[in-house]
Amino acid sequence: MMSKHFSADFFPDLLAGMVVNFEIAAIALVLGLALGGLLALARLGGGVLGAVATSLIGLMRAAPTFVVMFFLLNIIPRDATLFGIGVAPSGIMTVALSLVPYSASYVADNGAEALKQLRAGSPLGALQFLPNVTRAFFVLVMSSSAGAAIGVTEGIAVILREAVLLPSLGDKLVLFAVGILFFGVTLQAGFALMRFLQRHLGRLATRDTAAP
Amino acid sequence: MRVWRILLFVAAAAFAVLPAAAETPDAALAKLVADARAEAAVPGACTAANVDRLVRAFCENRLRPGIREYYPLFGTREGDVRSGYDIDVARAVAKRLGVEPVFTRVNAASRIPLLADDRIDVIVATMGHNTQRDGQVRFIRPHYYQSETTVVGPRALSVKDWPDIAGRTVCVTIGNGSNAQIVSHNARLMLFDEAGVLPGQLKDETCTLAAQDDSFFDFYFIEPDFAARFEKKFGFAQVPWGMAVARTASSERLARALDLMSQIFLRDGVFLEIARANRVGTSFLERQQVVWKRPECNTDTGSGNPACVLPALNADLEPTPFVARVVAFEKWVKAETGIDLSLPMLKTMPAWMLFKDGIVNSLILVVGALAATLLFALVLGAAQSSRSILLRWPARAITITLQSSPVVLTLVIAAAVAHALFPYSSAVAIGAAIVALGLMNGSNAGQAIAEAMHTLRTERGSARGREGIPTRELFSRAVNRSATQIVSFLINAAKGTPIASFIGAPELLSALTDITSFASGRATTYSLLLVFYVVVVVVVVWLCGKFQSWLEHRQAVA
Repeated sequence: MMSKHFSADFFPDLLAGMVVNFEIAAIALVLGLALGGLLALARLGGGVLGAVATSLIGLMRAAPTFVVMFFLLNIIPRDATLFGIGVAPSGIMTVALSLVPYSASYVADNGAEALKQLRAGSPLGALQFLPNVTRAFFVLVMSSSAGAAIGVTEGIAVILREAVLLPSLGDKLVLFAVGILFFGVTLQAGFALMRFLQRHLGRLATRDTAAP
Repeated sequence: MRVWRILLFVAAAAFAVLPAAAETPDAALAKLVADARAEAAVPGACTAANVDRLVRAFCENRLRPGIREYYPLFGTREGDVRSGYDIDVARAVAKRLGVEPVFTRVNAASRIPLLADDRIDVIVATMGHNTQRDGQVRFIRPHYYQSETTVVGPRALSVKDWPDIAGRTVCVTIGNGSNAQIVSHNARLMLFDEAGVLPGQLKDETCTLAAQDDSFFDFYFIEPDFAARFEKKFGFAQVPWGMAVARTASSERLARALDLMSQIFLRDGVFLEIARANRVGTSFLERQQVVWKRPECNTDTGSGNPACVLPALNADLEPTPFVARVVAFEKWVKAETGIDLSLPMLKTMPAWMLFKDGIVNSLILVVGALAATLLFALVLGAAQSSRSILLRWPARAITITLQSSPVVLTLVIAAAVAHALFPYSSAVAIGAAIVALGLMNGSNAGQAIAEAMHTLRTERGSARGREGIPTRELFSRAVNRSATQIVSFLINAAKGTPIASFIGAPELLSALTDITSFASGRATTYSLLLVFYVVVVVVVVWLCGKFQSWLEHRQAVA
């Protein structure tokens, strides 16, 4: 039924596209952890540096990912070089960089909270940072679909190029349902992993409290 | 006596012939080149300030043409080997002057700035001659080629004319003169720096449609695979191509030499031979050869004769009433700070209208998305809190589905349904975006309300026992309790509004993308865009903070 509607290489392409979504999210999260970690430390340090970090986190929280993506795409020349090395980001990197303000501000907020918990003598409270980061990762996977707007061949771009060739709305809706299913299963699996992590940490906390 | 008469006749004939010889473009060019060479030989002439460009070419024994490297059939480069029609035209020009060509790579966006910066002497880079560019560079006439913009897409796609373009994304190159025309037919643009990437984007289906000069696509339609998959949908905007030099007094003699050379090359079929050698279309050049062989055109003033030369494509955009003040402001900023500010959205009426409408539509989108988020949060929250499974389960199913769908996909689905119900228009695209953003964020906020309702029921259940349907008061308290979550998703909705441009909603991002496709100043434009949206989100955060305080105050009172 589906093969009658969709091109032969649709499903392999969709899976390959979704790998790109994960790749983008992973890059954004790694960069976000680095930048957000520094900002969290600066904020907790207080003083002028803390105030600057707080303002920066506020600005990054307010910056819409989609606009940041177009900003980066248009502000960095295609032939930009640094010490003779080309530094113009690829499409994938542009999308990942556009997600960094979100991931860094998220990491800074949750990282600061985790550090507070750690200083207050609750390492397990601090460990809640891990499920929160997992949640952010799956939000980043879903947000990376914005790459379709600048020609990055991620999962949604594969679905949209297939949709263009389908004649009726009914066929298109079936295709979109397949897309939601693929992304939905991934997302729900991620959230299940997050819940497992939370439960596991909760059990550790209970065991610690119950111990004499 | 008879001998004297014969001598007199010969002398008269000689005088009659001499002026005629001087009027040919060949003679005029020879004289111009000889004069410039003589000037270059004068000691100190080559080191003088602001030396004439033609003289400088002889001083340095080189001409610096700006050419493309990624435009098949016209300008390509493999290693150190350059080939294409433009490359060979530049070589022929340099050879006629007796100097060496020194090539510099340019693209559609960089060719005019490089000329203005005196980093190249002449543009020979697939540049269409339109009235807009006439004010920026000195075009060489007669023109050395002609093309039209053609829209290319998959054969399976039914696109025949402008009405089929509305709402679709068309891949184009930045700086292409025909972009404004595509925008005016409600198409969305995906911008690329180089035309060379367009066929690849079509093949890997990143682009469904691409618009570029027909001359460019000619090469790809030679490939059987490409021709089997794609076709030319329709063409528009015929434009003659011109070489161009800087619009300065010191470039005028070089321009004049190139005018005359272009005349000669058209008349003698030099361009025609180069075109044949590079397998590009020759019909324009064949027609032009006939024109330039005509006696009234084949003179040293032929390039100024309107009966012989083609007019530039009229692409002049109506200036805004305040353009002079904008230009003065840009100059002031440059002088005071050194920052090269460019505000194209304030200089021409089409750009100004797009900009104004973009701001208004963005604000409508933000307000609409906030209202829709609140509305869907309350409706889905109430439904998910209902004791009836007929209401509760469908609402939960909707929420899980929306949570599982990436934002772009949800928007596309909303747009597909909207366009199936209504004919395409900007209002429909904005409406679809508002509904999609409201549903996405409202469903999450609704889930938070339902969870708050559940906890309230548990608390009330332990105090007063199980009750029937939820009361209005209980629901109101659930809304108060989930205030933080609601506010968080309201802010998320406001932040998500720019993505509406993906489905053709003409908000500010979409408007500025359109403006930068036919005007310069990308850096300033996108910086302004970022500032605009950050300010909008900050204002929304502030308003949401007030709203949250009000809800929390209500909760405290309750």
